Amino acid sequence: MIVESSEQVPRLKWPRRFPVPRDFGVAKNSRIIEGKSWPEPEGATRIATLRIYRYEPDNDGPPRIDTFAVDLDDCGPMLLDALIWIKSKVDSTLTFRRSCREGVCGSCAMTIDGTNWTACTRAMDELSEPSTIYPLANLPVIKDLVSDQTHLFAQHALTEPWLHTETPAPERERIQSVDQRRALDGSYECILCFCCTSGCPSHWWNGDRFLGPAALLTAWRWLADSRDEGRGERLDSLDDPFRLYRCHTILNCTRTCPRGLNPGKAIGEIKRMMLERGG
Amino acid sequence: MSNPRPQSPNMQNYRPQLTSVMSFGHRLSGSALVFFAFGLSAWLVAGAAGPLVFDDAQAVVHSIAGRVMLILASLAVFYHLCNGIRHLIWDSVHGFELRAIYAGGWAVVGASLFLTSALWIWVLA
Repeated sequence: MIVESSEQVPRLKWPRRFPVPRDFGVAKNSRIIEGKSWPEPEGATRIATLRIYRYEPDNDGPPRIDTFAVDLDDCGPMLLDALIWIKSKVDSTLTFRRSCREGVCGSCAMTIDGTNWTACTRAMDELSEPSTIYPLANLPVIKDLVSDQTHLFAQHALTEPWLHTETPAPERERIQSVDQRRALDGSYECILCFCCTSGCPSHWWNGDRFLGPAALLTAWRWLADSRDEGRGERLDSLDDPFRLYRCHTILNCTRTCPRGLNPGKAIGEIKRMMLERGG
Repeated sequence: MSNPRPQSPNMQNYRPQLTSVMSFGHRLSGSALVFFAFGLSAWLVAGAAGPLVFDDAQAVVHSIAGRVMLILASLAVFYHLCNGIRHLIWDSVHGFELRAIYAGGWAVVGASLFLTSALWIWVLA
């Protein structure tokens, strides 16, 4: 019941969803219908059932859920291995992003059994049966499991994630003590997978103006950097009813980070910095 | 564009977790307490308006529906109070590790249920 690390799958499998109608508040073109049920592989002893969100922009059809049966003895141990198995052996039109296959690039972030995680670090035996695989929550869908993250990257760019200095560059490095460098631990490791932002209810309701945990974690990384000289301007840009202060400490972000980072805490530190400034 | 892109589901599909459920509960109890405060002042006004009006008000309060509302209202008070303290602890930038979030969360749930039942056992006994 007490979760120690974000990689733990929830032990309470119920309730699986909030008790709202399946298409609660959903736009007409986003309503999901039941799709195709693909045949089971022959001679397979261990089978996992994956219900995967599909959407083809070329056809005029609505998004649908296809059911696949994966032969666990024929593919690797992770969900990404199963998706690649499906793409190579069952349906080659299944589309998803992937790159490093080890949880450091953030490409394969998706909503797995209702929580956000990277497919390459989610083991098949951690999934429910059947398991539901959706693209990252609350984002426009380009195709199948590929979501449009343009807006999220724009919010990240808005925090101006580079060193702001006025003093001229020194001959060698800008010196930082070990303790000053330690202040960046927990924020520089962000891989911009956007699992946190996509899982934040406040970002669901106000995502157009609320920056979200990923962008705010980046903002904290620069606010905490002792070499950065733009603290005043950075806090000025966050001093707005929506950009920072739509965070109501829901903490879905910390619960879901595949890197084990703590955006909620970073946002709390930003709020404290604002208070200390007199904001 | 001929087909605007569909949006992936958010609340329709995302799993309820202690974090989001307790946050929603905080908001729900807070909104419910607004109505409770309204009802409380109505009851007080009825008390000031004389015995006839007050007897009617007491009849409502002592009815089964009235008692259920009171129990729910006291649950809302205690939950909002305990979770409010948890929020104040977060505002001081403490207790953000997952273990503390979950332990604190269950502690708040347990404390509100305990305080509500203790109050009503004391009142009704």
